[in-house]
Amino acid sequence: MIELVQLVKRFGDLTAVNDLSLTVPRGEFFAVLGPNAAGKTTTIKMLSGLLRPSSGQAKIAGFDVQTHPMEARKRMAYVPDFPFLYDKLTTAEFLRFTGQIFRMEEKVMLRNSDELISRFNLEPYLKKSIEGLSHGTRQRVAIVSALLHDPEVIILDEPMVGLDPHHARVLKDILKEKTKQGMTVFISTHQLSVAEEMADRISIIHHGRLVALGTQEELRRQSGVDGALELTFLALTAAEANLVSDHTHAPVTHAS
Amino acid sequence: MSKDSNASPLRLLVQVNSRQMFRRFHSALTQSPAWFFLVLLFTGGYQMLSFWLFYRGLRFVETFPGLGTLLTERLLFVLFAFLFILLLFSSLVISYTNFFRNRETMFLSSLPIPRETIFRWKFIESTLLASWAFVFLIAPLLAAFGLTRGVSWHFYALAVLLVGMFVVLPAVFGAWFAMVLARYLDRRSFQISIIVTGISLLAAVAFLMQPEPLTDEMLEIRVLAVLDQMLVQTRFAQFPLLPSYWLSSSVLNWAEGAWSTAIFFALVLLSNVLFFGFVCLTYTGQFLYSAASTVQSRSSIFGQWKWGLKSSRRGSENQMALGGLERFIGWFRWIKPDSRALIVKDLRIFWRDTTQWGQTLVLFGLLAAYIINLRHFSTQLTNTFWINTVSFLNLGACSLNLATLTTRFVFPQFSLEGKRVWILGLAPLGLVRAVKMKFLLACIASLVVTLGLILLSCRMLKMDFFRLCFFSVAIIVMTFTLNGLAVGLGTMYPNFREENPSKIVSGFGGTFCLIVSFFYILISIGLLAYGSPWVSSGDMSITTSIICGGSFLALSVLVGWLPFYLGLKKVANFEQT
Repeated sequence: MIELVQLVKRFGDLTAVNDLSLTVPRGEFFAVLGPNAAGKTTTIKMLSGLLRPSSGQAKIAGFDVQTHPMEARKRMAYVPDFPFLYDKLTTAEFLRFTGQIFRMEEKVMLRNSDELISRFNLEPYLKKSIEGLSHGTRQRVAIVSALLHDPEVIILDEPMVGLDPHHARVLKDILKEKTKQGMTVFISTHQLSVAEEMADRISIIHHGRLVALGTQEELRRQSGVDGALELTFLALTAAEANLVSDHTHAPVTHAS
Repeated sequence: MSKDSNASPLRLLVQVNSRQMFRRFHSALTQSPAWFFLVLLFTGGYQMLSFWLFYRGLRFVETFPGLGTLLTERLLFVLFAFLFILLLFSSLVISYTNFFRNRETMFLSSLPIPRETIFRWKFIESTLLASWAFVFLIAPLLAAFGLTRGVSWHFYALAVLLVGMFVVLPAVFGAWFAMVLARYLDRRSFQISIIVTGISLLAAVAFLMQPEPLTDEMLEIRVLAVLDQMLVQTRFAQFPLLPSYWLSSSVLNWAEGAWSTAIFFALVLLSNVLFFGFVCLTYTGQFLYSAASTVQSRSSIFGQWKWGLKSSRRGSENQMALGGLERFIGWFRWIKPDSRALIVKDLRIFWRDTTQWGQTLVLFGLLAAYIINLRHFSTQLTNTFWINTVSFLNLGACSLNLATLTTRFVFPQFSLEGKRVWILGLAPLGLVRAVKMKFLLACIASLVVTLGLILLSCRMLKMDFFRLCFFSVAIIVMTFTLNGLAVGLGTMYPNFREENPSKIVSGFGGTFCLIVSFFYILISIGLLAYGSPWVSSGDMSITTSIICGGSFLALSVLVGWLPFYLGLKKVANFEQT
């Protein structure tokens, strides 16, 4: 469902993403972990078609996001770390706008929105202007608008930031249900507990490179450290850091 | 939920953004009716005042026997040509910001909306944003021109159509320039090219626009030849390939009843608008993505040359070393280190806001070019009345430019710092001192420009030392007042929700600041002109001069110091909460 083939992104003489290749099958919950400035957001931006790769390919549902952007975007949803919302619209108007942009049938839109609005407790805010909403409520609106058209792939960049524990749980539950129905989730997060609890597979990116990929068990074996994901993560990124420091002219990334 | 699931994305975007705009107006009207009516009153007042000034000016020019019509026509050609250039520059800046520095563009790029559609919407938005001020400025002029010529109603209908078509061309060229800049220039080279272009334009205007020297003898014998010689420098405005030429020609010919010529020029304008508009709307959109991606991906353009790479590596070897600006500010040892750090930070942020100060540079550059050219009139300006009029007009123009600068850059300072209160508010520097430092920095920075221009103006008009001191003191007082007003109102009416300074300015406080600045300048110039000892024929008593001077100072204290004081009080309380 998601395919990254030798993806490279250079910013001048800095390489933010270096030869990244991976495949995420349909219905998988895939988490991307990595320290700050590892290249996670750059990867996500290339995957969602916001940034052109220096080389390589990113595909969504078999469509190259560069050569067939419309086909790819129809099948995906993207929630950035700081989502843009039209401040002067009400929540209901914004959701309707998103549905219209995705050319949803009215019945489907009503059904989907009713369910999502109810689960994210957005009823009291439907007629309220978005500018007056709290950070967490805005985040809920952004997530609902992304899920509204039932995308085949959803890409989330730090979606839990700003959400209270209850709505973080709601989001996790929904994502779990959706993956069972075949939706592919590609999530970038610093909250290791989310990856630990939800992810079918985890990738760790460091200095723009894929340093580890697999299930939690496979990562543990790879790192040689038993215990929580945090220990595995620290061991793998530390090993990579040491490897990098051995090569004096290793690229330094500036985008995450 | 969807009433119109088959609506085109462009239509949806227009609908959504129109609704947003309507809501902004509505909330302004309901939440702050005083502000809304103040803006309305000011807008109406400005339109009426400028209409009256244009009308009186055109009537005055028309009174020149045998030359009035020619002069009016040439004025229109020159004015439209300059406005075309300004509109082009404005479109470039707004298009660049709207295409590549806009969150809505990024959001839309992740939705299934064709890039061409995103470009079309952003182009329409940029055109409206760039040209409303042009329409606002040009409407009273065309109305005044129509009235002086006694035209019938259809002239105004045609004028509306022509202006509507005209604004499309600079918008198209601005959008294309923005695309090219995004594709090939990074911020540093953009800054350098803006400065080089600005200086070149300044030099070109200063050199090319200088009139031929005339003697009294020539004026008495060959008036038409002399006039032709005087107007020779304005012929560029009649270059037949300039869109402003088509607009002016159509307007002028229609006013004279030469319908066929007027329609010919209107059709020339229309065909160009259709051609360039079509090319822009159908083909340019496909470059939006690659240009936007380049803007986000690029390192310095200088990296492609060896010396650029070397310099960049030298910089990255010791990245925590003091920068040139820090070393320069470091010479001012009597300023405390934390205050110096604040000054360096503010200067850097201002310098990096290229698209915004670029427009200010154009305004002050044009003013400087005009003042430099005053030297050529010094032989003609032997009449005391004209010397006084020109010198006070220069003072007015300079302070009005300053007012736009203080409102745009100084007013939003506190709102922007308020968001970062966790740094400044908790630092030993404190917010009160930070605001004071901002005030002083703004005063010093703007004094360099305003005092420089006024001294230049006095020098060009060959004024004596006393007058030079008079105008220098006047501009110093006005600079401190306008900055005090902007800082004061900025702290009294902060907006901590907005990140974008231009949006902070468009609220009540910013509008109020601009209006108060405008009236302050108007009243101050009136008081100074009326009270200055050399303006009247000598029957002015010293008492009147003192009263006028005193009133000017009192007004300055009231307008500048009082808001500043109240603002500081508010900031002090802000620290305690």
